[in-house]
Amino acid sequence: MGNLNYLTNIGKKMSLLEIKNAKLKLDDKDILKGLSLSVNSGEVHAIMGPNGSGKSTLSYMLAGRDGYELESGEVFLEEQSLLDMEADERARSGLFLAFQYPVELPGVGGMSFLREAVNSRRKYLGEDELDHLAFVKEARKVASKMFVKDEMLKRAVNVGFSGGEKKRFEILQMAMLKPKVSILDETDSGLDVDALKIVSDGVNAQRNDENAIVVITHYQRLLDYIVPDFVHILSDGNIIKSGGPELALEVEKNGYAGLINAA
Amino acid sequence: MLHNVKDNYIISVKNHVSQFEEKSFRKLASNDFKSWPSPREETWRLSRLGVLSRKEITPITPNFKKQISSASKFKGSKIIRFVDGALREDLSSKLPSGSTLKILGEEDSLRCFHKFKDSNLRDHPSTNVSFSCTPSIVKLTIEKDVKIRDLFEIIYEGGDDDTSVHPALYIELKDNSSITIIERFNHLSSLIMPLQLVELKKNASINSLKIFNDNQQSYNLSVNCTFLSEKSNYNSFSLIKGGLFTRSETHAYLKGENCNLNLNGVYLSAKNQHHDLTTAIYHDVPNCTSKQIVRGVLGGKSTGVFQGKVRVAPDAQKTDGQQMSRAILLSEDAIANAKPELEIYADDVICAHGATVGEIEDDQLFYLKSRGISEKKAKQILITAFLKDIINDSVEESIQNYVFEEAELGLSEIISKEI
Ligand SMILES: Nc1ncnc2c1ncn2[C@@H]1O[C@H](COP(=O)(O)OP(=O)(O)OP(=O)(O)O)[C@@H](O)[C@H]1O
Ligand SMILES: [Mg+2]
Repeated sequence: MGNLNYLTNIGKKMSLLEIKNAKLKLDDKDILKGLSLSVNSGEVHAIMGPNGSGKSTLSYMLAGRDGYELESGEVFLEEQSLLDMEADERARSGLFLAFQYPVELPGVGGMSFLREAVNSRRKYLGEDELDHLAFVKEARKVASKMFVKDEMLKRAVNVGFSGGEKKRFEILQMAMLKPKVSILDETDSGLDVDALKIVSDGVNAQRNDENAIVVITHYQRLLDYIVPDFVHILSDGNIIKSGGPELALEVEKNGYAGLINAA
Repeated sequence: MLHNVKDNYIISVKNHVSQFEEKSFRKLASNDFKSWPSPREETWRLSRLGVLSRKEITPITPNFKKQISSASKFKGSKIIRFVDGALREDLSSKLPSGSTLKILGEEDSLRCFHKFKDSNLRDHPSTNVSFSCTPSIVKLTIEKDVKIRDLFEIIYEGGDDDTSVHPALYIELKDNSSITIIERFNHLSSLIMPLQLVELKKNASINSLKIFNDNQQSYNLSVNCTFLSEKSNYNSFSLIKGGLFTRSETHAYLKGENCNLNLNGVYLSAKNQHHDLTTAIYHDVPNCTSKQIVRGVLGGKSTGVFQGKVRVAPDAQKTDGQQMSRAILLSEDAIANAKPELEIYADDVICAHGATVGEIEDDQLFYLKSRGISEKKAKQILITAFLKDIINDSVEESIQNYVFEEAELGLSEIISKEI
């Protein structure tokens, strides 16, 4: 029986993130207007859309930022409702947001920040907290893969980091936290070609059958590196079209105007 | 009959000095003591001595047999102890060569008194009281070219309820000398009025750390007056966490070109504490720099005050004066006040100031929480960082950890109640 179960689970996709008819206002302005999205294990979804269409709002809403509560709708992470969880609980449960604009934390050392975050998640998962030495070793290993210098981990989080360094540090955090669902909000913007490759490799190395990644981007180029299973076009608070990677090429060629008008 | 602290205290101060001769510095000072700080005076408007007025206080008579309770915090440091405001040579270390400690006689005391009086502190009430009532003025001298390697630790303690204590210290650093001094205030008295005169001669350099940690019921009105000569350096950091009311006042006179002054500090206030960092910096000559960074963390119904005055004389061209204060309020009932006061009479100067009072930054809190860190822990991390940042920037490296640990202790008092 055990074996059979195992077999039936293979290839069976689990729902990791489910957004149903999400509506959200900011300052009385409708920003998300009934958005729905299903993301299963092993999938990579790309969300593209014009400036101001609501992409970052969607990611803040998912991450549980104050002020970004839904007016109506539902969100599930691994079939568990997210809506009454605080941001920290969501993160411990396996949700990760790579910020479009990572926040500087003067005086907060990178290494101790990472350790606090990783141990919070480990504790939640019932794993032992890592001691200082074990942690530093692990962090250095992951950092070297991301071409993040040790020296950067000693500095205050994001303070004085270049735009590209900030993005790399986000993905380093993702690699350390091993989330179930990662939302990458314009992680590619501000990266030079080499950094784009490094960051994409870092993301791809974490793809597996048990997690899922949602990449928000303006550029088809990123999707040559992180090849998505699905591409969605977000416009004016709604997903107006979904398709395969070819949809991104269409956007690249014709812009959003044609798609928006057709919808 | 209603008690009136002003009258009562003036009478007990006058009684205290009655035994001294008319021309003694104590008598001169007591003659100048006419009034108690009043909220009508601009520099006392934000720091009122309210509760103190209901107490009946007399200047202490030092008990030279009193046992001490504060231990040294540093291995091998040279300790200077004041108990009840009086120097206790029996409880102090032998000082390294090139440094001397001396109780000043009448003539030298009078000279010190006049130096103080030549500043703008002529009518300063607590200064006059302390000159009247101090057991003695103690002078620490560092000789020419001497760089003191040992850490000097000055510990002030003692005092009793309903008494006032008046330690007076005169520090002179001769040409090219340098030293690091830690002062800790751990009194039990109702009222504490430490006096300090610092004279930095040419190219002399001092790192000074003051930790105010008096009894929870105490009022500490500390006054420091510093004169800087050419190319001298005064790097001062105050950590205020104790007392019911603690005011650290520093008046600095930049008298020689190319000298450099840092007057930084942190106050950590809980319950109904009132903490006040008041500074007055006088740029009298060209090409000097002064910098003030002040940070406060407040909980409960506490109040914090930073008032920083910078005066740039007409001749003091190329002055660089910076002033920045930030306070974080952890409770709705806490209040922080910042009052910069720039008087600039020269035209070729850089003077910048800024003050913010607020809560913990939302986006920083969210960033930490989005990494799975609980709100409580996240706040703790951010406040600790807020302090670490300034300590790393402004405290001499060898004592950074100590300051940080002392700050963390004060912080835990506030945080345990607020978050
Ligand atoms: N606090 C707010 N109050 C009102 N409107 C807001 C607020 N914050 C954001 N908006 C608006 O919400 C809309 C969506 O913003 P959002 O940042 O989600 O866009 P985006 O798709 O991420 O854009 P970009 O591609 O430029 O990153 C924008 O029109 C923005 O001006
Ligand atoms: Mg955005």
